[in-house]
Amino acid sequence: MNERLQAGRQALINLVHKMLKFLNGLGKVFFGNPKSVFGTSVLLFFIILGLFGPFIFPYSTDISMLDQLLPPSWTHPFGTDLWGRDIFRQIVAGTSDVLSIAFLAATFSVVLALILGMFSGIVGGFIDKFILFLTNVFLTIPSLPVFLILAALFTVDNPLTFALILMIFSWAGMCRSIRSQIISLKERDFIQICKVMKMSRGHIIFKELLPNVGSYILINFIIVMKNAITGSVGLMLLGVASFEPTNWGAILTSAKNNGALINPNSYMWLFAPILCIAIFQLGVIVLSKGLDDTLNPRLRVM
Amino acid sequence: MDNIVELNHLTIDYRLRKYALRAVADVTLPIKRGKVTALVGESGSGKTTLATSILEVISTPGVVESGTVLYYGNDKPVAVTKLREHELNAFRWREVSMVFQGAQSAMNPIMTVYKQFEETFLVHNRKTPRQAAIRQAKQKTIELLNFVNLDPERIMPMYPHELSGGMKQRVMIAFSLLLDPKLIILDEPTTALDVIIQGYIFKILKRINVELGISMLLLTHDIGVVAEFADYVAVMYGGKLMEYGTVREVFKEKRHPYSKGLIESTPSLLSDIDKMKPIKGSPPDIRNLPAGCIFHPRCDRCMEICKLQEPEDHKLGEHLVKCHLAKQ
Amino acid sequence: MDAVKRVLKRIWLFLFQFRYFFMKLGISILTLCAVVILSFILIVNMPGTVIDSFAMQLSIQRRISLEQAMILAKQMLNYDPDAPLFERFWAYIQQLAQGNLGISIKNNAKSVNLILKELLPRTLFVSSISLAVSFVLGTFFGSRTTWRRNTIGAKVLDGYIVVSNSIPDYIFALILITVFAFRLAWFPNQGAYDAMILPGFTLPFILSLLFYATLPIAAYVFSQLSFWTMQMQGSALGVLGEDYINAARARGLPKRLIVRRYLKRNAILPLVTQLAISFGVMFGGAPLMESIFNYPGIGLAFSQAIVERDYYVVQGILLFVSVIVIGVNLIADTIYSIVDPRIRRSA
Ligand SMILES: Nc1ncnc2c1ncn2[C@@H]1O[C@H](COP(=O)(O)OP(=O)(O)OP(=O)(O)O)[C@@H](O)[C@H]1O
Ligand SMILES: [Mg+2]
Repeated sequence: MNERLQAGRQALINLVHKMLKFLNGLGKVFFGNPKSVFGTSVLLFFIILGLFGPFIFPYSTDISMLDQLLPPSWTHPFGTDLWGRDIFRQIVAGTSDVLSIAFLAATFSVVLALILGMFSGIVGGFIDKFILFLTNVFLTIPSLPVFLILAALFTVDNPLTFALILMIFSWAGMCRSIRSQIISLKERDFIQICKVMKMSRGHIIFKELLPNVGSYILINFIIVMKNAITGSVGLMLLGVASFEPTNWGAILTSAKNNGALINPNSYMWLFAPILCIAIFQLGVIVLSKGLDDTLNPRLRVM
Repeated sequence: MDNIVELNHLTIDYRLRKYALRAVADVTLPIKRGKVTALVGESGSGKTTLATSILEVISTPGVVESGTVLYYGNDKPVAVTKLREHELNAFRWREVSMVFQGAQSAMNPIMTVYKQFEETFLVHNRKTPRQAAIRQAKQKTIELLNFVNLDPERIMPMYPHELSGGMKQRVMIAFSLLLDPKLIILDEPTTALDVIIQGYIFKILKRINVELGISMLLLTHDIGVVAEFADYVAVMYGGKLMEYGTVREVFKEKRHPYSKGLIESTPSLLSDIDKMKPIKGSPPDIRNLPAGCIFHPRCDRCMEICKLQEPEDHKLGEHLVKCHLAKQ
Repeated sequence: MDAVKRVLKRIWLFLFQFRYFFMKLGISILTLCAVVILSFILIVNMPGTVIDSFAMQLSIQRRISLEQAMILAKQMLNYDPDAPLFERFWAYIQQLAQGNLGISIKNNAKSVNLILKELLPRTLFVSSISLAVSFVLGTFFGSRTTWRRNTIGAKVLDGYIVVSNSIPDYIFALILITVFAFRLAWFPNQGAYDAMILPGFTLPFILSLLFYATLPIAAYVFSQLSFWTMQMQGSALGVLGEDYINAARARGLPKRLIVRRYLKRNAILPLVTQLAISFGVMFGGAPLMESIFNYPGIGLAFSQAIVERDYYVVQGILLFVSVIVIGVNLIADTIYSIVDPRIRRSA
């Protein structure tokens, strides 16, 4: 009985130890250098804002004509819109929406690129050629027009369909690189050794190949997130995606369509979503650079 | 003077982002005029780094930290490291030229072979009228390609990637002769070539040395080549010069255990294959060299003192041995 | 018999030289097929009411009965929703093969070919100027900063690259039009040229074209310039590490010459294919950019057609633009294979 307890405790300690080690590794990756620290902080800030912001700064859609287009103040940090609604609270309310579209689009494209890229690289032959051709098609056709067509064909009214549409053009480039990485990895010694040792395909794929393209995937996940936001806001500006009115793109569109380009009093209405988009994108780019420095160290001395 | 180049206490670092990598540490070495000096050592021992310092083309981020490179051309010695940019450019290839390791990638991939010969020739003959210089360049190129047994008609309009490995190597040797230099540095001119081509190339090199009287510095890790071809030999290990002397001295006397190990690990030199014994262990990590004599962990005659104190250079005439055993 | 064989072999060897081109050509044709299928899917998915309302429009305009109008509509569109799928596809292909891209179902049955003929030159004008400016400047800045990392200019350039990467081009366009067209009124806020000037190949007209295109070009250049600068930096950095650079130094070639003949040329070569991709990206971005600047080009027409559900215009423009992009890609690949001896003659 006592021994069992002992073993159980040992197992628990081991588990905690492993988790700590994992967290430590995660910390090293995401806070490894000043760039990563900045990027991670920005990302975390928006995630927290998206999760908890709406409870702290609840947004009400009530129209109040008395408060039309107020300048920034303590009660309205970003001022108010044409209907007297607080812009800051709109932005807070829309954060989770923006993030979930970006996150879903990135997840979908990475998964698709990974599956097709690995499949293509590992299996080779005709399937490889076909997948390569597919990526070629998707890389050549101008993407925005096709987004537009798809957005017009399917009514886009939730993050999931939006993410699926945005995914269509971001997987191809990634799929190609993953494929070529897999092919070059396959030639390397350690994979050959695995083959000689008759390790199973599953083992080779999950234990040897996947970790080796891991850093590439992580960095590209972040870049696809950035592109998804660029794409989604663009589609909203063109008015083909009816959407959550608090999404930053929707705020921007509504400002643009209601004379904010002309009326100096409503510059804040235009500027607030632009600022948020720019800061978020900046954070994401800097993070991707920081991760690149940490995960792909090159001795580049100039 | 019978030295064409003298390296004095030369120390070269690669200044990397986090630390400096000492690729060459305090090396003093003469290169004899008209002779073939071989520089041998395992991979990473600093041969290329040392040799490129003579032309002041150490790959970035390499820097000469201290020491001098003296070149004795005609009368006055020239301190290569002190030359200014345009003096250096005039010195390069005119006085000393080099056949780079991996000749495959030493040529501009988007220029034909002849264009590259011509370009270098013109740059070094600015004073000659252009048309005349071009004529001379063409004539010289044809002459040199013939010298290395290549068909000029065929080779000159080719792009580098169209040449085979052995052809490239010969083109590069011809290239190094373009301005009639006094010293040629040959960085592993025959690695990656098959044995027959190797022999062929050494025949050409021998002719260059004997017929044209050009001095040579031959970098190699092939002891067999040294025995056959060189007059002097310098042995490098972990960035340091372990032994220097005539080939006879080094090969016969075997005063340094490392040189001895190198010789005895070469099958072609021994009739009896059973006697062949590779040096145990692996080349040193120059980021953290062992204390005392840097060879001691692999040495089969290691003494107590070797672990503590770095040996001095023991000289017997010009024969230099960096080993505690050489003291007696 | 032998002679025939020899001739055939000669022809084969001749063609063999261009196999790289043929391979690319094959891929281009396949890509084109994919686009055709995609636009056909768009037509097939068109709701049935679209044709009904088109017929209604026709019957009012031409004062004919609805039945007659329906028949006429099907004729004009060369599309019968009741026919089997394969027949519809065949009719569609035949029509395309005649170079007919269909007609607008909203805009007085104007033909798509005509719309393209009117509007495409404007979009081409803006995008080619933007591309040329950003390519020339970008490669220049990129190569310069690669071997002079620590100048103030290089730092400023780094900052600009980060900023331009975090602001999408259309948002920059919004800012530009707000500030320079509406607020300061330095530039027009819509149109492609001054209506008072007679179109033609005259200096005032060309100047007017340029004046109206300034803001769109500025917006494109803002985002494209950083792309080319980064591409060039990456490429030049790769070339800088090549052995032939060091070997050229050893030959005593002056630095200027090495930079010009060795570094720049080798670094720019791989960017030639990027040029085509970038061209496609700009065409793709045109719907957004042109609708922000109210610039009457092919992009504005496309986005309006999307909003109005003018399926044939959408389909026609997508097809045509894709053909252009695919063609440009093919040309770029071919040029690259001609200028780079490694591809041109590799055995
Ligand atoms: N450009 C560089 N940057 C950083 N370190 C370098 C560079 N070039 C060489 N080194 C390091 O300097 C040391 C000596 O290298 P060097 O090329 O001189 O060796 P070598 O004797 O020529 O080897 P090999 O026989 O493999 O050519 C090695 O440890 C190498 O890692
Ligand atoms: Mg070397």
